[in-house]
Amino acid sequence: MRNKGVVIHYYLMLLPGLVWLFFFNLLPMYGILMAFKDFNPGIGLLKSEWIGMENFKYMFELDDSKEIFANTITIALAKMVGNLIVPLVFALMLNEVKNRLFTRTVQTIVYLPHFLSWVIVAGIMLDLFSYSGLVNQLLALFGVEPILFFASPQIFPSLVVGSDIWKEFGFGAIIYFAALTSINPEMYEAAAIDGASQFRRLISITLPSVLPVAVLLGTLSLGNILNAGFDQIFNLYNPMVYSTGDIIDTWVYRVGLINMQYGLATAVGLLKSVVGLFLISISYTLAYRFANYRIF
Amino acid sequence: MKRKMAAILAGIFLIASLSGCVSKDANSGDGNGGSTGNEGGAEVSIDPLGAYKDPVKVSIGRAVDPNYQFDNEDTAENNAYTRWLKDTYNIVTTHAWEAAQGTDYEQKVSLAIASNDLPDAMMVNETQLKQMIKADQLADLSEVYEKYGAERLKDIYNSNPGLLDNVTYDGKMYAFPETTLPSAPLTWIRKDWLDELGLEAPTTLEDLQNISKAFIDNKIGGEGTVGIVGTSQGGSLYSTFLSSGDHYMNFSPLFFAHNAYPGIWVKDKDGKAVYGSTTEETKQALIMMRDWYAQGILDKELALRKSAQELITSGKSGIFFGPWWSPYNLQDNIKNDPKANWRPYIAPLNAEGKFNSNEATGSTYIVVRKGYEHPEAVVKMLNIHVSEKDPSYEEVLADKQMTSQEIPLFIVAGHGDQLEYAVNSTEKYLAGEIKLEDIDKVNYGFGYEVAEHAKNVKKEPYDNYDIQYWDINGDAAFFAHVYSHLNGGSAFVNADVNYTRSIATSKTKTMEARWTNLEKLEDEVFLKIIMGSAPIEEFDTFVKKWYDQGGEQITKEVNDLQ
Repeated sequence: MRNKGVVIHYYLMLLPGLVWLFFFNLLPMYGILMAFKDFNPGIGLLKSEWIGMENFKYMFELDDSKEIFANTITIALAKMVGNLIVPLVFALMLNEVKNRLFTRTVQTIVYLPHFLSWVIVAGIMLDLFSYSGLVNQLLALFGVEPILFFASPQIFPSLVVGSDIWKEFGFGAIIYFAALTSINPEMYEAAAIDGASQFRRLISITLPSVLPVAVLLGTLSLGNILNAGFDQIFNLYNPMVYSTGDIIDTWVYRVGLINMQYGLATAVGLLKSVVGLFLISISYTLAYRFANYRIF
Repeated sequence: MKRKMAAILAGIFLIASLSGCVSKDANSGDGNGGSTGNEGGAEVSIDPLGAYKDPVKVSIGRAVDPNYQFDNEDTAENNAYTRWLKDTYNIVTTHAWEAAQGTDYEQKVSLAIASNDLPDAMMVNETQLKQMIKADQLADLSEVYEKYGAERLKDIYNSNPGLLDNVTYDGKMYAFPETTLPSAPLTWIRKDWLDELGLEAPTTLEDLQNISKAFIDNKIGGEGTVGIVGTSQGGSLYSTFLSSGDHYMNFSPLFFAHNAYPGIWVKDKDGKAVYGSTTEETKQALIMMRDWYAQGILDKELALRKSAQELITSGKSGIFFGPWWSPYNLQDNIKNDPKANWRPYIAPLNAEGKFNSNEATGSTYIVVRKGYEHPEAVVKMLNIHVSEKDPSYEEVLADKQMTSQEIPLFIVAGHGDQLEYAVNSTEKYLAGEIKLEDIDKVNYGFGYEVAEHAKNVKKEPYDNYDIQYWDINGDAAFFAHVYSHLNGGSAFVNADVNYTRSIATSKTKTMEARWTNLEKLEDEVFLKIIMGSAPIEEFDTFVKKWYDQGGEQITKEVNDLQ
């Protein structure tokens, strides 16, 4: 028999999250109406005139739409893959180091960037990769002409993805460290007695043990495929790199807040949400299939 | 949900105020100074500068300069000026919110408009003003302006023809516009560097090119000297019809010298409206800029830097384009390097030797929320701002120059020729041709103040504005004013500027839907052409695309405006 009191306090713990969800995610859904209306803030959303699918029609007419969706998916996908693999490899490597003091120190240092705001990191990035910045100075030692990194549409996405991984991999590794510590040391001892090399143990014991966690994180992150990171890109981009760096969120920002085309901005945002919902459903099914993870 | 709450609260207030006595309104509402409580139907005399009996609250959305140093514990919301306003007139200003001036503030205003959660009064730009009028969010100010506007205020607006017409729709006046100071981008150069290298002052594009080259080749600003600096990240290469007065640190003059006016609507040779960015002249300017960029004459990181201003402050660059008031922003550089002698030049001229510029049309506007109970309080604040101050002002605030940071709802408001008058009278005063008392203090108060303080910071000879003849610490609060008016202002008011005015000054119907897209197209292609990552032929592709993606319809609409 279950103790009822225990169940209740679980729900209580859930409550703040639910309240947050209600106010910040469910309530604003009413704003979706804006995509189908000629929104006039003076008379309010409900009284604004219906204009049907006009915003959507215009959106699909624009060359921009394809471009920003493509950019968003490319950048987000690269971030997903990078943020999955780099922390895993890092965790595995650090796990092999036996000096506790060293591992602890490294762990702390690499996860600090996670707490920096993108405004700061972007400032550092722009400086490092500027025309006379550190990177170009280093390249100059090898006789390479200075490169304008942030003006190059070819390089820009890599910088975005790279800096995101640099900022987040330490934090992402924490969950792998947790998974690593839960591996039964007896398995390693048994393997050592059987004559397995260090590398063999890594491949045959460590990796399979953390793989479910990796699969779970990977499938869950699928839901983020249309979030390429507004804060980051907004602070780094410029018109030179629109062709590869302009993402849905930055575009919506310019349309909605700068040019006040609320309807169009909402329409694009809505499409993003619909695709996002579809992908989350897939990722949930996959997570259930491969990692036996389920909520309901 | 929130709206319902607001409605309930409003209901409660309504009941509360109804249950209070009605006759009280006569005392507190209008604030007619002495003549309140007059129950006869006779017209009560209204004192535009009269104090309220009971405190009247004005909540404002405020742009603040995060780097501004207030005295003691003062803030933008509570400082010497706002306290004086409260003590003398019983007008209490509070901040509904504040945001850093510039894009942060614009964003906050846009959000306030979209959510219809407006402060009683705030300052907006032209696009925002139009949006608010369309959304019916603004109070009709015609009546309160008529009734409460001080003589001075009306004089000022009357001497700036057309200004109030721009904010009047269907006979209703919706805003108090700033009286735009005339503006044209001049070329600012470190004259001490010119002298050091034995170079002449520039007039043509070629001169400019040679000077920039000489600065770079001689590493005059040390290792990594940059040529001509301008646009920062997120900024525009030139001022547009939506930001026509935005002449500080961009590359407009390089276009103007080619008779090109990108970003604004001009007439073609048949008198038809055409978008300046799509013209052959603009293409020619881009070809030159592309060449200059490749040679390193233009900043290699134009439009990429977080702040191009840094290059000037740190003495890495000696050339930029900016309006007459640019010296306000050069003080840091002068403090770092007392020899930094920035001088304005009427250059570059076009092939016929004319100095071109677009004409500033846009402005800043004070607007009042529809439904605000005391729109006249805003009028009074403006009256106070422009009129001669109450004697109490001298006692409290005499020794400090109040700026837009202290004064809430600060706009530049003066007679149409205020700049010219200030510059000329100060020059004449310094030359000893007129006395201080000869300056019209009533109508040109600021010009008077500039002249009054001029001798504190200007050393002899009075007609030489090189930096060695200035005492930057002589009157710290007024140095920038006097220095800008004399060094920049005098060059500008004496220049013969060939202005071109944009045919459209706000968005047309189709523009509202298409402009983001067209703007993106333009920004991207222009920058790519200049920085050499796209061939110049891309320009023709851009023009075709621009017309196809809505430009055709928009051009038709702008033609109808003519």
